Amino acid sequence: MTAAVAVSGAIPAGTAAPAKSGAAEAVRCEGVTVRFTTERGTVTALDGVSLAIHAGSFLTLLGPSGCGKSTLLRVIADLVPPSAGKVAVLGAKPEVARRNRDIGFVFQDAALLPWRTALQNVQLPFEVGGAQQRPGTRPPEELLKLVGLAGWENAYPHELSGGMRQRVSIARALVSGPKLLLMDEPFGALDEITRDRLNEELLDVWESTGTTIVFVTHSIYEAVFLSQQVLMLAARPGRVRALVPITLPSPRRLPVRETAEFVALAGLLRRELENC
Amino acid sequence: MASDASATVSGGFVVDQAEQARFMAAKRRLLWRKRLLPVGAVILLLVLWHWAVVAFDIKPFIAPTPTAVFRVLIQRFDILMANLMPTAIEAVCGFLLGNFAAIALATAFVHNRAAEEAFFPIAVMVNTIPVVAKAPILVLLLGNGMEPKIAIAALICFFPTLVNMVRGLQDVNPQALELMRVLSASPREIFLKIRVQNSLPYLFSALKIAASTSVIGAIVGEWIGSVKGIGALIIQATYAFDTPLLYATIAVGSTFSACFFGVIGLIERHVVKWKSDRAG
Repeated sequence: MTAAVAVSGAIPAGTAAPAKSGAAEAVRCEGVTVRFTTERGTVTALDGVSLAIHAGSFLTLLGPSGCGKSTLLRVIADLVPPSAGKVAVLGAKPEVARRNRDIGFVFQDAALLPWRTALQNVQLPFEVGGAQQRPGTRPPEELLKLVGLAGWENAYPHELSGGMRQRVSIARALVSGPKLLLMDEPFGALDEITRDRLNEELLDVWESTGTTIVFVTHSIYEAVFLSQQVLMLAARPGRVRALVPITLPSPRRLPVRETAEFVALAGLLRRELENC
Repeated sequence: MASDASATVSGGFVVDQAEQARFMAAKRRLLWRKRLLPVGAVILLLVLWHWAVVAFDIKPFIAPTPTAVFRVLIQRFDILMANLMPTAIEAVCGFLLGNFAAIALATAFVHNRAAEEAFFPIAVMVNTIPVVAKAPILVLLLGNGMEPKIAIAALICFFPTLVNMVRGLQDVNPQALELMRVLSASPREIFLKIRVQNSLPYLFSALKIAASTSVIGAIVGEWIGSVKGIGALIIQATYAFDTPLLYATIAVGSTFSACFFGVIGLIERHVVKWKSDRAG
């Protein structure tokens, strides 16, 4: 990245997003670099990524394939160690946040355990990692209701549709009352109508729980519809290209996608993405 | 939407009683066809066999008629059962021993990669030795009792279970492992909640193979040196040119094998109620 990005509202690469003074930070990354070494050489997946996400916000990571969106999400979740740089989640090391059950993670393919029913899958977080039902956690049955799966408690994953499986996995991520919800292309494999419905429901969940959400997608429309901010990453090596605030009013419903403002924002992101 | 009196609508399905009855009848017909066709084929083969023996005037000691075999099955039922007993005990004991050892070793391999790298090639080498070659060695080592037969049955079960079990414990959805890390699960919890569960379909496909091979192992063991058991009876009947007894003995051994297989299949249906998206 040489030229500064000349987009209104965008912030030049490498700069941290300004956290409002006083507003608590959910995530802070400073110069995060991740390198993987294989037989074919070393790949730099992330190169000096800095960002700050303030508590309660909805931020989307958007970028072309290979820009390190998923890797960044995994660094925040303490699944991938950074080769250089510093990461803080809720003011502490990611490992501390992970052990405190402050992080919920939703995987691309739902990652339900096929030998457990929907309810048993949502109960899993209480059975491992020495976690009991502490204050802030919610009953698994109630969460299945929240994601619209009341009556499906005893269904096995193979009896559920793709959209329903992903709802179960969202309920599982929310059951321990996380302060930070990380979602790795959760709706990427779903049909468009299901994806739209789940997008709306996710916004409802976000508003009712007040959790911070970091969402990875490569759909521009999904990014604009869901987020308060879109962090655009450029590929090879993965680095911050721009931070675009999404100024659409909340709460949002699907018809907002037909407004001129939405179309303009989507167009802006598309042009940015093409230059990545 | 259909609105005649006999139709009800629920969850996108329109239930028309007459159409439903036709569908169920067709389904029942197909099911009965699937059950009856093999029975019919067996009867046809028996008739053909009987006809061939009679038509070509084949001597009973070369090939008996199915009725002669059936007669022996009834008349000498007590002898056949007395000989099935030791074979069944050897096969079941060998099955338990071999599979238990295989599961234990697979568990050790998954916990210790170095152990796998060291001992897996040895397991492969032992497996390449044919059973008929292993049997005399074990008879020399363990004597003429049931022990060498149990050992052979155990050895024959061991390898398929080891290979399947190692694969089942290791071939886990990587995102499930990431999930367990997000949940800060201990290695023990990952083993019990993910790996063991994941291995069950693999284990049962190995156990079903082992159910029939363990009987083969016991019979082969009895050939080497034994005075009772299905294997011994096969040898005795052959040397005495008592071919109807030979056939009846084989039928008893096979039936036991099939029942053993069926029991394992039944247990599997109760233990593995879910469908895997990975294991075939």
